[in-house]
Amino acid sequence: MNGFPGKGLLDGLLVTAKNFVGSYFDGHRKERLFTWQYPEERMKLPERSRTFPFLVYDGSPENLRCTACKICEAECPPQCIYIVMDRDAHGKPLHRPKVFTIDTSVCMQCGICAEVCPFDSIKMDCDFERSRPGRFGELLAHLSDLLKSNEYYHQIKPAEAARVDATRRPIKRPPAAAAPPGKK
Amino acid sequence: MNAIFLTLSAVTVLGAVLAVSLRNLVHCLLALVLFFLGIAGHFFLMRADFLGAVQILIYIGAVAVLILFAIMLTRNIAGTEGARRALGGAWWLGVGVSAALAGLMIAMTRRSELASKMPYGATEEGVVKDIGKLLVTDWVVPLEIMAVLLTAALIGAVVVALEETKKR
Amino acid sequence: MPDGVALTLSVLLPIGIVLGVFLTIFALLTWAERKALGRIQNRLGPNRVGPFGLFQPIADALKLLTKEDIVPQAADKVVHFLAPVVTVAPAFLILAVVPVAKGFVPVDLNIGVLFALAVSTASVLALFMAGWASHNKFSLLGAMRAVAQVVSYEVPMVLAAVVVLMAAGTLSSVGIVEAQRGFGGWFICKPWGLVGFVIFQLCAMAEVARTPFDLPEAESEIVAGYHTEYSGFKFALFQMGEYVAALTMGGITVTMFLGGYLGPGSDLPKIGWLVSACWFFAKLGIIIIINIWARGTWPRVRVDQLLGFAWKMLLPLSLVNIVAMALWHFAPNKIAGWLVSAALLVAAIFGLVKINAGKAFEKRSYRFIS
Repeated sequence: MNGFPGKGLLDGLLVTAKNFVGSYFDGHRKERLFTWQYPEERMKLPERSRTFPFLVYDGSPENLRCTACKICEAECPPQCIYIVMDRDAHGKPLHRPKVFTIDTSVCMQCGICAEVCPFDSIKMDCDFERSRPGRFGELLAHLSDLLKSNEYYHQIKPAEAARVDATRRPIKRPPAAAAPPGKK
Repeated sequence: MNAIFLTLSAVTVLGAVLAVSLRNLVHCLLALVLFFLGIAGHFFLMRADFLGAVQILIYIGAVAVLILFAIMLTRNIAGTEGARRALGGAWWLGVGVSAALAGLMIAMTRRSELASKMPYGATEEGVVKDIGKLLVTDWVVPLEIMAVLLTAALIGAVVVALEETKKR
Repeated sequence: MPDGVALTLSVLLPIGIVLGVFLTIFALLTWAERKALGRIQNRLGPNRVGPFGLFQPIADALKLLTKEDIVPQAADKVVHFLAPVVTVAPAFLILAVVPVAKGFVPVDLNIGVLFALAVSTASVLALFMAGWASHNKFSLLGAMRAVAQVVSYEVPMVLAAVVVLMAAGTLSSVGIVEAQRGFGGWFICKPWGLVGFVIFQLCAMAEVARTPFDLPEAESEIVAGYHTEYSGFKFALFQMGEYVAALTMGGITVTMFLGGYLGPGSDLPKIGWLVSACWFFAKLGIIIIINIWARGTWPRVRVDQLLGFAWKMLLPLSLVNIVAMALWHFAPNKIAGWLVSAALLVAAIFGLVKINAGKAFEKRSYRFIS
């Protein structure tokens, strides 16, 4: 037996007392009192954290990388992506999406769409503040909501974006009307 | 016979009647607790504070819990086994015996001199002191016998529980 | 004013004051507990609602009031409804005999402490009613364990109180406070009083199911408990019953061991009642701090450890405490009395710990690790 009966209990009390008193004198260092006062402060998330997908464009939103190949729509497990290809007046495909909608109430954030995209156009975002007041229709993310610039991609995931930029090849759309070349 | 006594008696009798006539066994137990509370109230009314408090302590705190465990361990969880008929077959027999017993007790209490021999409870203080003094002077032998009896019961309970675990 | 009105007022006014004061303290206690536990656990407590989170109890109360009250379909409606009531009622009833300041006890019963102990044992039924009426096997198991815990810890509690009654010679709570007059007159300053205080405080913590004895509550976090099927305000009533019971038993502890409202300045002519009230609430604050501190420090005990502690450790210790007090009281001179009783208690504590220690694990040897 180590010490008198109850010594362990009293030692425990001393430790917590020291912790309690020390918490007032240590300042609000994050190593000491690790409460993040949301929404004034936000925790820095690790780079690999992911929430919902977003579409990457280079330079301006008309320069989006997506060619509406529909591979992500086919591979999505809960089938939450809906794509309609943009066609010109004669019905020829323009290799850009006219409609690109993700139902975020269905999306399970698995990242398969980002894995299979051959054009590095759909990537996983890490923005978690996506609550909306309504349940029907307000959780649908349309094309305008999904388009975010490559600079934003570099900002949230610098290492991954640098890797993508080093290895991707420029997207060549066939020269149809009003389709600028997808050069970087 | 003032209003408080009548109300308390009504609550007590109600508890007793419900305790024998309700369908669900647990409800009967709760009605019995109400009855105990009424009796404790009667004790307080007669200025026997110590007995009233001990009534709550022992009857509600211990006896009711004991009955509760007995119900719990011998009935199925749903408790539907406790439903039974409200009035038995020979209810007139029960009423007759109760009336005879009540009449006998009233007659004997009136005839005895119990009422004149009760100085306790009339004073403002000292009820507990008097009871304590009596317990260790005049009534010390019953006190010691009760202590031995309770110790034997406690040891017996432990032995019974111990044997069961040993058998396993 | 007419007699009847005066009588009614003299009954209602103390009730109102006591209820108001202690309900406010209860609200502040929930806030203080969350802040203190947070600081102990390296985090901030609630600090959003009002300055320093002071309005958090109000927010909690509003939230629980506006929640839907769900009663299981197979539940026993009457018993399910009555269980929170039977939980809360004894907690407030005991406040009637706690002397809050000099001359300020709502009812000066002759048998004050006995009444308090008796009513606190009546809260056992509420646990069972809640568990049974929920018609849920886990609730019933949790309720049975809770009943076993409360019933086991009643015995050492009453025996620890007996020591105080022996010293004071009266059951009235005001009488017990008055018997602790004088310098070093508080019963905690005597050896048997110190042991009695520790035993009584531990048993009081176990009675109201506070950590480290919060097995009934822990079941509801982990599996289920006796108040699983309660939502909305009935749940709030269970919490209120627990916290107010903790406050009330703290008040009884202060009365019996810490000298109640006594302290320097509590006998002053005009403001004596105010000073004594401050003393009482300061001592109650110390008990509350001990409670919260214990909650933040000690882990929860297992149910067999719980019952073993009560029956094998606290009960024999409280019996030895009574003997030690008798020796102290009837000793020929003070020094001999102190020495003998202190020695007896220390020997009893060490002896009991040794007896209950269980087998020590022998040192293991591994083949490839030297």
